[in-house]
Amino acid sequence: MNRGVVQAVCLSLSVGGVVVAGYLTVAHYTSPSLLVCSDRGMVDCAQVTSSPQSSIAGVPVAVLGVFFFLAMSFLSLPAAWRSQSRGIKGARLGLVWVGMCLVLWLMYAELFLIHAICLYCSLVHVITFALFVLILFNNGETDRATTPVDAGLDHA
Amino acid sequence: MAKRKSGTTVGRSPARSQSRRAPVTSKGNRAERRRASRAGKGSGGRRWLPWVSVAVVVAAAATIVIAGLTHGTKPASKSATAPEKVARAVQGVPGSTFDKVGVPPNLAPPIRLAGRHPPLVSGDLPQMLYVGAEYCPYCAAERWAMAVALSRFGSFKGLGVTESSTSDVYPGTKTLTFFGSTFTSPYLAFTPVETTTNQRQNGAYAPLQTPTADQQRIMNQFDAPPYTTQAGGIPFIDFGNRIVVTGPGFSPQVLHGLSWEQIAGRLSDPTSQVAQSVDGSANLITAAICEMTNGQPSSVCDTSGVKAARTRITTAG
Repeated sequence: MNRGVVQAVCLSLSVGGVVVAGYLTVAHYTSPSLLVCSDRGMVDCAQVTSSPQSSIAGVPVAVLGVFFFLAMSFLSLPAAWRSQSRGIKGARLGLVWVGMCLVLWLMYAELFLIHAICLYCSLVHVITFALFVLILFNNGETDRATTPVDAGLDHA
Repeated sequence: MAKRKSGTTVGRSPARSQSRRAPVTSKGNRAERRRASRAGKGSGGRRWLPWVSVAVVVAAAATIVIAGLTHGTKPASKSATAPEKVARAVQGVPGSTFDKVGVPPNLAPPIRLAGRHPPLVSGDLPQMLYVGAEYCPYCAAERWAMAVALSRFGSFKGLGVTESSTSDVYPGTKTLTFFGSTFTSPYLAFTPVETTTNQRQNGAYAPLQTPTADQQRIMNQFDAPPYTTQAGGIPFIDFGNRIVVTGPGFSPQVLHGLSWEQIAGRLSDPTSQVAQSVDGSANLITAAICEMTNGQPSSVCDTSGVKAARTRITTAG
């Protein structure tokens, strides 16, 4: 896939993730804690967003999601993709791995501990997985032609 | 070109690269191969890494989903008939106990429906509709109060015992079940619907009873705002389309760790927390039923506990 397209998709997915995680953050703080059981079977967002597993060390998972996607948005900016900095590449790769591991944990929590699925959470999971795949396959690629080092090689 | 693809020679001066290509001894060749091998690992040699990473993640996700949807698969168990001692205690709470308990302030009251609605009846009798599920811990708590209250208007046959889900909040709360029981009363008809068992089947609780279209319509209409913040939640009780209960009267925590016999045994002790919660909620339910039955029988509806409960019934909004 064209590098420019990949980078644009990554940025779009990250911004989309901020929006969905933002919605879930609002839902987390505004949904009343449930004192009834749900009759909606497995699909029940309120059950998930108000569950004990919806926070990690007191921080709502949805808030963590907002910060994650904000960071990914920053790391998916064209300037970040052009950068040769190992720190930026490492942060992008490390962060998406952390995000993916958290998604796996949340899938486990939904299916085994909460016994309910939140479709918005699933959307976040899909976005994170798509970012994971795109970054894994493209994180090594940089816009080399614009870097001074490569420019020097070309002159040689 | 090939060197550029490897990625490791990027930034190296052409002269230095050239010197590495110069003929060397066989020992030097081996060193060159090792360097080339290390260089290969720089990027081209690790091109399998993303594929493996994605494969590992996909496999992990698939395992979680498949295991999550199939774990805990057990045949739905039929609840046992309530022991005679339990059934007798539930249906034999003295009137004086109800009056002594009254309505403790921490209990959630029923809600009077706004406006007038076609009365919910069964034959000539006003109907009390209950929708719950055997897995549900909040239903588990509410059933004790319902059974105690209804026993003031009639009698149960075949009342069962069961417990809430062991993998939900307030796990294994001991309770009664109306599934398979019959309630007889000259004052009202009682229609219980237990939608699922407490046993999981393919990731969801095994279905037990399905609400009829009319019952579902009632739930859609009254188990929704402004009568509750959690539309479709259970337990749900409709008292003749006049009053509803959209959640438990008290917390299942009150029953935590108690057996059926222990709960039943404390129902007649007005000082116990069980009686305060169960009998207090039963007074509220009784008051709601009395509105359906137009205050009949007076021996129940005119007692001090029920009169106190009537003042606690709230209005939506």
